[in-house]
Amino acid sequence: MKINVNTEIALTYLSSRKKQTVVAALGVMFGISMFIFMQSLMKGTNDYFEKMSFTNTPHIRLYNENKVADNHMLRAFLPDPSEKILTNPKQLKESQGLTDPYGIITLIRRNREVKNVTPQVTGNVIYTSGSVELPGNVAGVQIEEENEMFDVQGNMVSGNLHDLDRVHNSILIGKGIADKLSLHVGDNITVRSGNGNALVMRVVGIFSTTVKAVDETKSYANISVVQSLMGKDRSYVTEIKVNVNDYNNAPAVAREIEAITGYKAEDWIKANEQLKAGFKIRAVILNSVIGVILLVAGFGIYNILNMTIYEKIKEIAILKAQGFAGRAVTSIFLQQAIMIGVMGGVVGITFGFLLTLMVSRIYIGAGMLKYLPMSFYVPHYVEALCFGILTTIAAGYFPARKAAKVDPVNIIRG
Amino acid sequence: MNNAALVAKGITKYFHDPVTMQVLKGIDMQVSKGEFVSIVGKSGCGKSTLLYVLSTMDTDYEGTLEINGIRTTGLSQNQLARIRNESIGFVFQFHYLLPDFTCLKNVMIPALRLGKLSYKEAEETAYAKLKMFGVEEQALKKAGKLSGGQQQRVAIARALVNDPAIIMGDEPTGNLDSKNTGIVFDLFRQLSQEYKQTIITVTHDNDFAQRSDRIIEMADGEIVRHTGA
Repeated sequence: MKINVNTEIALTYLSSRKKQTVVAALGVMFGISMFIFMQSLMKGTNDYFEKMSFTNTPHIRLYNENKVADNHMLRAFLPDPSEKILTNPKQLKESQGLTDPYGIITLIRRNREVKNVTPQVTGNVIYTSGSVELPGNVAGVQIEEENEMFDVQGNMVSGNLHDLDRVHNSILIGKGIADKLSLHVGDNITVRSGNGNALVMRVVGIFSTTVKAVDETKSYANISVVQSLMGKDRSYVTEIKVNVNDYNNAPAVAREIEAITGYKAEDWIKANEQLKAGFKIRAVILNSVIGVILLVAGFGIYNILNMTIYEKIKEIAILKAQGFAGRAVTSIFLQQAIMIGVMGGVVGITFGFLLTLMVSRIYIGAGMLKYLPMSFYVPHYVEALCFGILTTIAAGYFPARKAAKVDPVNIIRG
Repeated sequence: MNNAALVAKGITKYFHDPVTMQVLKGIDMQVSKGEFVSIVGKSGCGKSTLLYVLSTMDTDYEGTLEINGIRTTGLSQNQLARIRNESIGFVFQFHYLLPDFTCLKNVMIPALRLGKLSYKEAEETAYAKLKMFGVEEQALKKAGKLSGGQQQRVAIARALVNDPAIIMGDEPTGNLDSKNTGIVFDLFRQLSQEYKQTIITVTHDNDFAQRSDRIIEMADGEIVRHTGA
């Protein structure tokens, strides 16, 4: 194998000072493995929270936004802007429902990005059992579609969600409601809507989402049951929930849907601003920690190379006397830095992977979270290696340039 | 002038620290190919300074310098490095071997840098040079583990590995006993006579100087006498 003489000298220097080389490489290794570990933890956590948010939020929610009355209709008759119009801005007394919901659903289904579409009727209700009353809301859904989108089955504590389609006037209630009203599967519950309609329903299932506020208020019933409870007809739908193939495309799809239907389409990112804010804050914390670690590792390399250069200054002088140009000397020391970087990088990647693997086995058992969410994402490893090597190059460059500037006459003559 | 290995004209140099002082005062000299020249003089007369100017390592001077017909004054450091690598071999009072490398590697490095020989050829050439100085048995030892005399001989072998046109020595025998000095002198003699290599050494050793082709005697930054030319 033919290796360049600069490389050979760099290798000899590294191998004749094994301890220092190892310490420098350990610095890089530590930086890179921490980089991988923290990135994996953050991505894992973010992915987990994103996934969690999709257990009760659809990617896109289409609904009729309440509008405040303004004068745009009157302006059509009085185009002269000098004529003042006095208006009394009030909420329009308009149906909460969407017009022609099933037509809209057909329209939405035409979009190739769309995976699931399901209509929903939400109504505020009061649950009564015996003398206890409990406010809450009931979601009228098509349970099969709902289950496909939000994995209702995964939250079921008892009963069978498919009974919703089989049993007349049946209901799935949250565990909080069941506890407060002391209800079990098979019991009856009275559900009263805002307009005074009351319906005695049979509990066919109890679910638990780990979110207390949901478990104490929410219930599922068949969409037609809720429509009649609200005193509305079969075309009354308050919102349409849409899931797309890639949830990162949701904002774009939401805009398209908004354009074709004219209704407000809210994507999950807008609905979960605080989630995204959390992601951003975590990213800042993470990047500053990683930055500091790599900086420290970089200083380690800088220090060790600087020491090497002081120690070897006579040898550098003699190499220059023998005809090594400044460039060659720079290359010798820069190569040492890169070798340290690559060594530390490769070991760091392995160690980072093992660390991630180990931590992903730690049992947490809080809520639905059983193990620490860690992601194994290949680009993290590539990034870590690149950052690590870039740091070592940056750290090695300055000492190497200093070595190149050694004046052989001064050194040899003393 | 085709026979000149080195031509220096009006070499003038100042030291600025701690006070400005003229160390070389317009030195003119010429050394022919195959000539064995010794530069002598008292400490502080500027002979070493002159040698470092002639060696192209020191570029902070006035005047002009030509080596093998190439004007080196004003060339870039990289160009000078190339010229040193190819045409100038150095022997210092202290050996300056790289202690982490074997003797053989130490000798090979300038040859590898020059890149005219393959790795194998460089190895063979280096070994032959070590053999010339009778240190071939130390070839695979780390340079730091040799005795002073052996180290100096390896250092000379290293200076010769690229068959430089000019060999420069700054008290090359300063640390050697008379036996080793004899060996080194004989080799220098042989190199200049048989291989037409030019040798310029700075020395305090009068014996050594007396036996060379020419003695250049310096005092106070000036050449005061040429003997034996």
